[in-house]
Amino acid sequence: MTDFFRDDQAEAASSDKLGKFLIGIGRAIAGALLFALPMLMTMEMWALGFYIDRFQLLLLLLVNIPLLVGLAHRIGFEDTFGWREDLRDSAIAFGIGIITSTIILVLLGLLKADDPWHEILGKIAIQSVPASIGAMLGRSQLSGDDDDDEDQEDADGGRETSYAGELFMMAVGALFLSLNMAPTEEMILLSYKMTPSHALVTIVVSIALMHGFVYAVSFKGSHELSSSTPWWHAFVRFTLPGYIIAVLISLYCLWTFERLEDVSATQILMSVIVLSFPGAIGASAARLIL
Amino acid sequence: MTKSQNSSHTETEEPHWIEWATGIASGILVIVMIGWVAKEAWRQTDAPPDLSTRILKTEATSGGFRVEFEILNRSMATAAAVTVHGEIARDEQPVEESDVTFDYVPAESKSTGAMLFKTDPTGQQLTIVPTGYTDP
Repeated sequence: MTDFFRDDQAEAASSDKLGKFLIGIGRAIAGALLFALPMLMTMEMWALGFYIDRFQLLLLLLVNIPLLVGLAHRIGFEDTFGWREDLRDSAIAFGIGIITSTIILVLLGLLKADDPWHEILGKIAIQSVPASIGAMLGRSQLSGDDDDDEDQEDADGGRETSYAGELFMMAVGALFLSLNMAPTEEMILLSYKMTPSHALVTIVVSIALMHGFVYAVSFKGSHELSSSTPWWHAFVRFTLPGYIIAVLISLYCLWTFERLEDVSATQILMSVIVLSFPGAIGASAARLIL
Repeated sequence: MTKSQNSSHTETEEPHWIEWATGIASGILVIVMIGWVAKEAWRQTDAPPDLSTRILKTEATSGGFRVEFEILNRSMATAAAVTVHGEIARDEQPVEESDVTFDYVPAESKSTGAMLFKTDPTGQQLTIVPTGYTDP
């Protein structure tokens, strides 16, 4: 009798765990859809599937792995404590990204059975990157559970994020928006339309918005400075490195999507400045949300 | 380091030196970027696109001949929808013509393309010239 009772309890606990896991998977799919649909429905992304240089594509897929592990370490499907769980969560997110992208591409009539294999593979591979980031973020951002943020709290109830962690989150935010926009022709077209004077103002506006988003405007999750710290402390330590991260991520995305070939250095810089504008917004939004 | 408490974050008052080092290095990079663009703004003229072409090489393909060429834009203005006309002539009489359009030839940059002919252009008069463009 007692044995039976214990079994029953264990079964209930394990089915509860399974239920939680399935809910996590559901949220991940929702996240993947939410974040990847704009790219799945962008013409340039379909074309990129077959013309993107395979080395650049491989590098993008490889870069995505440490990115997902880092994200899993901070958020993830379940409260994780070790790198093994983080690796498992990243694999699940990448898998959901691949499956979701495949299903949507088939649904939209973009993948056909008689397409060449390398084209099918290329299309899915390139879409799986934003979808997997979406899957990872979906788990944390779409859940309303109270128990989500309980991990990593120290004795006085505050959570500490290392400086590298802050910069990492900014990189994820910047990458997210940059990935969405870099494949479109509009990015280079804008850089051709803008004069250097426009670009100068764009740099200043990007940096000002970044700082304003995080410190001046009181959103939920805003960062505050203790009254004894002058404002430029945070500006130098967080905003300026954040902008440079957005710039580097923009450069990487444009290079990945082959937007920089045979173009003069000044034109490259102009395109990077254009793409860094959404990148900077993404970076500061990530600091607030994640 | 940043300390999060009740969804608002307070930056620590005694940051590690590496935070300052990163911040200052980033600041220098931003200043270099601004300086570079400012120099370009200073150099900026209203000159329209200045296009020229150069034939790179001719080779036989399975269906005829391919002439690779590059198109150079020396001005600081980008040209869009650049049409390029190619012509093979023998004794001043056009033998074969071909056209190609470039989406963009960015400022101070070069783009490459190719024209396909059925006639072998070697030994003939081959001209490849830009014929028009739009402002982006």
